[in-house]
Formats: sequence, C-alpha cells, structure tokens
Amino acid sequence: MISSKIFARFVHLQGPCLAAEKSLLATLRKKTGYTFSNCKKALELHNNDIKQAEAWLRQQAQSLGWAKATKLEGRQTSQGLIGLSFNSKNAALVEVNCETDFVARNKEFHKYVEEATLSCLNFAQTQPGDKTIKKISLNSDQMKAFLATDGKSLADHLALMIGTVGENASLKRGLCVKAPSDVHLVGYVHPSGSDGSVLLGKIGGLIALKQLSSKCADLDEIGKKLCQHIVGMNPQKIGTSDDEPAKDKEEEVCLIHQEFLLDDSVTVKEVLDEHEIEVVDFKRLECGGDTVEGVNQPLELIETCQ
Amino acid sequence: MTAFIVARSLPVLNRAIKQFLSNDLTHQARVIQCVIPSLTQSRFYAAEKKVFDRSKPHCNVGTIGHVDHGKTTLTAAITKVLADQKLAEAKKYQDIDNAPEEKARGITINVAHIEYQTENRHYGHTDCPGHADYIKNMITGAAQMDGGILVVAATDGVMPQTREHLLLAKQIGVDHLVVFINKVDAADKEMVELVEMEIRELMTQMGFDGDNVPIVAGSALCALEGKNPEIGSEAVLKLLKEVDNYIPTPTRELDKPFLLPVEHVYSIPGRGTVVTGRLERGVVKKGNDCEFVGYNKVLKSTVTGVEMFHQILEEAQAGDQVGALVRGVKRDDIKRGMVMAKPGTVKSYDHIESQVYILSKDEGGRTKPFTSYIQLQMFCRTWDCAIQVIVPDKEMVMPGEDSKLILKLLRPMVLEQGQRFTLRDGSQTLGTGVVTKVLPALKENERIQLLEGKKAREKRQAQK
Repeated sequence: MISSKIFARFVHLQGPCLAAEKSLLATLRKKTGYTFSNCKKALELHNNDIKQAEAWLRQQAQSLGWAKATKLEGRQTSQGLIGLSFNSKNAALVEVNCETDFVARNKEFHKYVEEATLSCLNFAQTQPGDKTIKKISLNSDQMKAFLATDGKSLADHLALMIGTVGENASLKRGLCVKAPSDVHLVGYVHPSGSDGSVLLGKIGGLIALKQLSSKCADLDEIGKKLCQHIVGMNPQKIGTSDDEPAKDKEEEVCLIHQEFLLDDSVTVKEVLDEHEIEVVDFKRLECGGDTVEGVNQPLELIETCQ
Repeated sequence: MTAFIVARSLPVLNRAIKQFLSNDLTHQARVIQCVIPSLTQSRFYAAEKKVFDRSKPHCNVGTIGHVDHGKTTLTAAITKVLADQKLAEAKKYQDIDNAPEEKARGITINVAHIEYQTENRHYGHTDCPGHADYIKNMITGAAQMDGGILVVAATDGVMPQTREHLLLAKQIGVDHLVVFINKVDAADKEMVELVEMEIRELMTQMGFDGDNVPIVAGSALCALEGKNPEIGSEAVLKLLKEVDNYIPTPTRELDKPFLLPVEHVYSIPGRGTVVTGRLERGVVKKGNDCEFVGYNKVLKSTVTGVEMFHQILEEAQAGDQVGALVRGVKRDDIKRGMVMAKPGTVKSYDHIESQVYILSKDEGGRTKPFTSYIQLQMFCRTWDCAIQVIVPDKEMVMPGEDSKLILKLLRPMVLEQGQRFTLRDGSQTLGTGVVTKVLPALKENERIQLLEGKKAREKRQAQK
C-alpha cells in the first residue's frame, strides 16, 4: 500500500521525463525489433541518443547473436525445414534444424533457409561440370563458411537468426548436385506451399532424368510427379530389370517396381516407359532423418555415379 | 449376512431389505446397520487413493509461449503457490519439463498434464513442446483446452514466433487467452508497460480482443523460490484469479440440449417403437418433444417413456444407456446412425472442413501417402458414411502428419463443429479428426461429381 503511494508520487514527479524515455525505448524496439533489454542497454550507453543507440544495436547484433548462439549451443534441435532450389542442371538440398516447430513456421527462419539454399546452389553452379552426375555432400562446417548474397557468411547469418528467435538452430547438412548436359534435374518438396525460387518443406526429393527420345515434351511436369512419388514412397534404389519385384507390394524398395503413387494401376517403370525417359539418379532428404553422409567428409571427396 | 452387505450396494434392494428388516427383525437390523458402515467404508481405499471431489466446475487450460520464457517455471509456480493453500500438489520443474510421451487414441503425443484447483474451479493444465503436439491434443480431445495462458518474458518482449503461438491458439479453437508477463524481476516497470502494449497490439492484429485481454506481470521464478511475494506468489494468484474470471466454464454435457445417437430400433407390439442408445448429453424425460435427424430425413416425435435395464426411468441423464419409446414413428422410418435430439438443436451437413491426424505406420496407419479425391469411410457416433477427401493446402498427406482436409459426404449426416470422427479405408484405420467448420451444402451437380471416376474428373477439369 505504502509502496504504491510512493510509486504514484514518483510517477507524478517523474512523469514527463519518464514518458519521453518510454517513447524512445518503444521507438527503438519498434524500429529494430531487438529485445527490450538490449534496446534499453543501448539507450543507457548512449545517453538516450536514439540514432547512436540504433547504430550500436545493429553493430552489436552480430556479437549478441553469437553470444546467444553460444549460450544455446548443445540444446537439441529436432524440428526444422528442408530447402530445395534447382534449375535444370544444378540443384541444392539443405536441412536446417531448430528447437520447436513454431520457429519452423516463422518467416525469419524461412528467410534463413532460403539464404542457405541459394548459397549452396551458387556453390554448385561454380563447380566444374562433368560427363556424369556429380553429387557433393556438405557438412555443417563447410556450409557455414559459404557467403550469402550480402557477403556475410552463413554462420554469421545463423547467429543473427538465433539472436532474433531466441532458440537454438543448426545447419545440419547439404547436398549439391550438378548434372551433365543430357540430364535434367527436377525437385519437389513436401508439404508444398511455398512459391519462389526456394521450396521449403519437411521432405525433399530430387530426381535426375534422361530423355531417351523427344517424345516427352514436359520433363518438369513428369519429373515433379516422380519426385512426389519418391518423397511419398521412399524407395531405396532405382533398381534394374534384374531386380525381382518384391512379393509384398507394400515392401517394395526398388523405384521402378513400385506402384506409382498418383495412379496405382501402373508401376513407375511403366510410367517411365510411356514417356520414354530414364531415371539416372534420385535423392530424398527428410528433415530430422539420420545423417548418413556428409559427416567429416572433405570437400574434395566427390561422389559420382554411373 | 454377506448377502445383505453385497445387496446394500444396490439402492433399490437396499430399501426393500430395510423394510423387510424393520418389520420382522428390528433387533438384527440394528446389528447389521452397525456392521455395515464399517464394512462399506473399508470398500473405499481412502488411504491409498483420494476420491475426486466433483463439487467445483472443471476447466482445461494450457500454457503457450517461447521455450525460454518460463512456461514450465510458471506451471511449477502455480502448483507451488496453490499447494501452500492445500489446493494442489506441488510439482517440480523437472517433473513437468520433458513432457512424457502419451498414447491417446493410439496416437503418440508429447504432453504434460497437471491438475490443480482454485477457490472456484478445478483445472486440468496442458503443456506441450510443439505445434504438432497441441494439434494432436486437440484432435484426440485428450484435454480440449477451454482457454490458454500466453507467457511472454518482459526482458525479450514479443518474439517473432509469438505470432505462430497466437495462430495456434486460433487454430485449436482457444479464444480466451490470459497473458502472463514473466521475468519482471529482471526488467523495470517501463519495459513491462511496453511489453504489455506490444502484446495488446499483436493480439488485436491476430484477431483477439487485445484491448481487454487480462495481462498480469510477475516472476514465476520468485514465486517458485518463495521470494518477493509482490511479484512472486501474489502475481501468480492474481493470474489465477484472472483465469477464473476471464476463461468461461465450459457447459457440461448434462446441461446441453439432449442428444441420443440411435444404436438400435425395435418395434414392440402393443407399445410402439423403441430406440436405444447411450444418451450423449442432456436429460430426457417422458413427454419431451424430439426430432430424428439423419439420412436426409427429419422426423418429429414425442418421447412417451424412458427405460433403462427394462425399468422405468423418471429421467435419463447424459451417459445413461437408455431405451426411449417414441410416438408416431414406424420402426422402418428410423435407422441406426440417426440422432434423436431436442427439436431444432442439430442439423445434418454434407460438406465440412476438418483437422485430421493421419496415423503413422507404427501407430497402425497406412504406409502410403494419399492425395485429393481419395474415397474413405467416415465413422462418427453410430453412423458411417462414404466420403470424398480434398486436401486443400498441399498436394498429398503423409502418414504421421496432421492436415486440414475438406470432406464431402455422400449423404448429409448429423454433424457439428467440434465433433470427432475416425476415417477408415476398408479394414484399416487411417486417421482421426475433428470438425473445425461446417461448409455450405453441396449442390446437386457437386453431389453427382462425387461419384464420377478419375477419368471423367480429369476430362471435366481439362475442359475448364
């Protein structure tokens, strides 16, 4: 009771002054979006000069982000997103993890996954081409060194993002694919919802197709359907005609013998034959899945196939 | 003697016994009555298990908020503060954290359930780690949240993902939120005020009543550690008071208009038609007007008698397995799957929006994903009906995912918002869901399109 009276008097006396400071803090917070504690600290350090405080905040954001990232390091990140970006000859698949699926739905996080995916695609484009498909697995450290469009490294961006959402996050793994001139790459991400150059979702699928004749006019269309099949049915290998189809259709692991997801009256092989195309390779990446590859693998070690 | 004691548990017989005894064996009766209390008491293992006290209305609440803003600390603090008043059992932070896996309706959910009570109400408190867990909790109805407590730290203010937290509340049908601004011990008055302003602004933006949302500032940690009562335990009590006042008590099933899903229909010569089933809600008495709804039909009638176990019942209450004698309807007019309800309280629909969880393979679901236009069987109350599924916001649904689905029923059936149902494909259970919205009835041509094959549909779509 007494304390509230004292406080009331305090407010009364200090009112105008406090109001001015309040609006400063509010303005700064609104403008920068940094936490209240940091905004307040910035104002205190610069005698309530909002311009200086803002400049200081922006300058400090990186180190504050790093501080937060270091503090949260070690906390489990089991949620996240897969980012996929491709053109007909290059593709990049990236997995970024976070702590809760709330963050995985947030725009700040989306922005970061997009940035990371584009950096990897950029990396794929700069690699020399080959006669066969080139697959480059990337681990966390390799990707962190990549530079984003604004010249900062992905590691710096990651720290900034951690600072903004206040949750741990990690760049888990990446895969770059470069196709020779006669092979066409198509990708699909589930659940599909995002437009634009980077697809975001929980499971990504990438397929490399070769045309056997000029019959199939729209490789992108059929490729997307096949990718959807790969995402949905999780085949383990392409399979050849030497592979016996499994007795139980549910347990079929060879892509070509599986029932086509979008029309279960035909097998994938029949679909391929109809369009006169061949699957050269495929890749499926599930968010939260085990890291099978890309661990401690030197950048020079490039996996090729066929 | 033992026979008498056993018989005492049946009230009807008990009365008869007393009468019998008082007439002839008054002396022995007194002996028995002396013996009975001590024996009956021993039937309740009072020492081992507490008997649930039903005198207060029950309400389910949950906490949502950023991982580091102190949801779990607040929950622990609530139990501690109430335990001091002997209204709850104090839980440690560790007991609440790491929400244990629970299997509700065969679906695995990470969720922590805690109970406590205030002077006015009894509470079930839910805390889940992620968005998907809250959705599963809503779908299975494990603990349908009637309201929520949004926790925001004064030091950080509203975070980018607070928007997602509020979206979730909207999605799972929580309209009443109370806000707790936590960690005020590490902030000053001015910051708390700004955080409050910010929350009100964001909540208004997200479609909540931001100006009138109760906001309480305090420190859950202080309450837990028993320090600074003015921001500790007092703030927690103030928060609970706001929760008591702001979050409305859900209507009990018993207080709703009556509804009985028909299980069987019998024709009893000389008496008429009897429908049986478990009264889902409300109270039915002889003389009540009723309505049979389902299979495109609405039939009006009157209840002329209610029975349970072949005995006349003055009134049947929600939960009773009853038979109701109804006037003026033939046995063949009514079918299993129809609903007997208070006139005008239920309607049938054939087009709904729902939130469905598709069982993963481990939970007994299917292995393959499905796409739009799949035909499934929908089971709900006592009816089942063929439906066509449209996946509105993605191209396919994988097992183990939750998804919004539009369901088109081949026949209009009794449904309502919040109704739970199961989807099956042949002999396999595919998923379980809840009706989130009733959509406008299907037009005649849309109904015909439900039955057309894939080829015909593709042809029609190509023509457009």
